Amino acid sequence: MAPYTNIPLSPAELSYLHTSLSSTPAIRPDGRRPTDFRTLTAESDILPSANGSARICFADGTEAVVGVKAEIEKSSKSIVRHVAHGEDGQEHSDESKGHGEDAWLQISVDVPGLRDDDALPVFLAAMVSEALLADGELKNRLYINSRFHWRLYVDVLLLSPPLSYPLPLLSLTIHLALLNTRLPALVSQGDEDPLFNDDWAAATPLYPHHNNKNPPITLLVMAVGGNAFYDPSREELAVADAVLAISVTRLQSSSSLQIVSIRTVDPPSRLTASGVPKDLIAGNASANAMEARVRREKDEGMAVWRPPRGGLKRALIAQITKNVLSDGVVNDILDALVKVNG
Amino acid sequence: MRSGRSVGLRTAHVRQLKLTSTVLKTGLTPSASGSAYFELDPGPSSSPPSASTIPSRSSLKLTCTVHGPKPLPRSAPFSPQLILSTNVKYAPFAARQRRGFIRDAREKDLSAHLESALRGVIIADRWPKSGVDVVVTVLEAEEDGWWADEFDLGQSTRRTNFGEWGMMTVLAGCITAASAALVEAGIDCVDLVSGGVAGLVRSKSGTSVVLDPCPSEHEDLVAGCVVGHLASRDELVEIWSRGDNEDQAITLVDHAVDAAIAARGVLASVVKETTALRFGVASTDSEDTAMT
Repeated sequence: MAPYTNIPLSPAELSYLHTSLSSTPAIRPDGRRPTDFRTLTAESDILPSANGSARICFADGTEAVVGVKAEIEKSSKSIVRHVAHGEDGQEHSDESKGHGEDAWLQISVDVPGLRDDDALPVFLAAMVSEALLADGELKNRLYINSRFHWRLYVDVLLLSPPLSYPLPLLSLTIHLALLNTRLPALVSQGDEDPLFNDDWAAATPLYPHHNNKNPPITLLVMAVGGNAFYDPSREELAVADAVLAISVTRLQSSSSLQIVSIRTVDPPSRLTASGVPKDLIAGNASANAMEARVRREKDEGMAVWRPPRGGLKRALIAQITKNVLSDGVVNDILDALVKVNG
Repeated sequence: MRSGRSVGLRTAHVRQLKLTSTVLKTGLTPSASGSAYFELDPGPSSSPPSASTIPSRSSLKLTCTVHGPKPLPRSAPFSPQLILSTNVKYAPFAARQRRGFIRDAREKDLSAHLESALRGVIIADRWPKSGVDVVVTVLEAEEDGWWADEFDLGQSTRRTNFGEWGMMTVLAGCITAASAALVEAGIDCVDLVSGGVAGLVRSKSGTSVVLDPCPSEHEDLVAGCVVGHLASRDELVEIWSRGDNEDQAITLVDHAVDAAIAARGVLASVVKETTALRFGVASTDSEDTAMT
C-alpha cells in the first residue's frame, strides 16, 4: 500500500528528523511552520474538450492533470417510480433532492508505474469520491429529470511518479477542476427528452459561484510525537507516527467548515529499518543475542531509530480535527483556489 | 446490541448484550497457522413486524486465515520487516447482489483498510525477510439496506441510495477476526485490536448516534465511523469516518470506540481460551486487568 518502500534515509537520519519534528517548537527540514503548505502552481480550464479541467504542480515536481467529462445517461427504472409517487402531491417539494445516486460519479486515478488494479490508485479514488459524495449535493445536481441524468467522469492523471503521498495534490486538482466544470444549459422541461442550449457561454457551472458551496478538499495531516503537520514532504512522512487524511467542506449556509471524511493512511515509516545501538553491533561481544534483543526492546526508539508501533492517541485525534476546523488553513486554500478559477 | 440502540445504554450493559450476539472462534482451519471465524447474530428484531416475508436484517459471517510468517520468495528484495498482505473477498453468494470472483474496488478498499489497521499492531521488525498473508472471506455480508425498499414493498419512505454502510460493519468484523487469527498464528502484536462501528441516524425528531448500526433497520443513516482500537494503549490504528456527520465527527469516533471496547471483551476471552487450550495452562486473570 505504501507509495514507496525504499526510503533513502539511514536510521541515524530518521532519528534526527524524528527528534527535530517532535520537539517544541517543531523544526521542519525545509523551515516551514507546521501549518504551512508548499508552494504550488495551479491553472484551470486547460483542456478544451472537457467540461472542466485543471492542472496543479507542486514545488517538488509532482504534477497532476484532471479532466471532468459529463455524459447523458438513461436512468434505471426505480427512479421513474419514485417521481410518479411524488406527483401525487406527497413529496412534490422534495423533487430536487434525494434523487442522485453515488454511481453517477466515477473517479479514476492513473499513477505512472502502478497498475490500474494496484491498491494505491483504488484507495485514492475511493477516498476522494467518498469525500465528494458525503453531503449528497453533487450527485443530486447530476439529476436532469426522472428518465435521464448526467454521469460525471473525473479522470486524474498523475504526470510524475508519486514522491510523497499524492493525496493532497489529487484532491486540490479535482477541487479546481470541479469548480471549473460547466454543464450545458437545459432547454427542455419536465420529463421530455433532454434538449440543451448549444451556446457554451450559457452553460451553468456545476458549483455556482454565488453560493458559498465548494467541493471538499482533502488534507494530509501527519502526527509526530505530540505535533501535527500539514502537507508533509517525503522526508517527513518517513518518520511519521501516524498519517490522517481529513476531508473538509464549507457549509453553504454559514462559512463554517465541516469534516466529511477521516481516514488513517498507512505511514511509510513503518517500513523503515530500525537502528542498532553502537555497543550491540556484530563483533562486539559484550552481550549475548537474547540480552541484546531485550535491550533493544527496552530502548523504545530513544537512543536509536525504531519504526513506530501502535496508532494515534485519541486525544491527539480530537485536537487535530479541532485545529483543522479552526486554524484557517482550509479557508485560505479554498479562497486561493477560487481565485485561480477567476 | 445489533438493533442499534441509542447510546443512552451504559457500556457495561452494551458489553453484556454484545457478548450474547457475537460468535468468535479460532483454529477452524487446520492448514493455516492461525484462523478465526466471526459471526454477528442479528438477534430478535426490534422493529415492528411487517407484512413482508423478506427478512428485515442481515447477519455477518466471515472467516479469516493467517498464513505465515513464512520466508519471502528468493526473487523478492530484502525487507527488514515482516511484509503483510491482506486480502478481503466477498463470497459470490455473500449478499443479495452476486459478487464476481475478481475482487472489485470495494473489496480492494477494504483490504487496504485492514492492512493499515494490522500494520499498526504487528511488531514487524521481529521478522525480517518474511511475509504473512491475512485472507478474509466474507461468507454472509451485511446488506447496505433493507432490500425490500428497492421494490417499494416497505411502508417506510423509499430510498434509492444505500450508501454502502454495510461495508463498515464488515470492516469492523474483519479487524476483530484478524486480530484473533494473528494471535493464534503466534505473531507478536503490541495489543489486541478490535473493531467497532457507530452511525448517525437522522429522523424527523433529530439525529441520534447508534452503536453497531444495522443499515437495513434505520431509515436514514447519514454518517458512519469504523475504528480499530487498541484498548490497553487507548490508541486508534484505523479510523474510517464518512458521511454528513453534522460536526459530530469526534463524537462518532468516541462511540465507535465504545463499540470496539465491547468487541474487545469477546476477543480477549476467546484469545484466553485459545492460549489455555494450546499450551495447556490455566488462564490467569492478568489479561482481564490488561483489557479494561
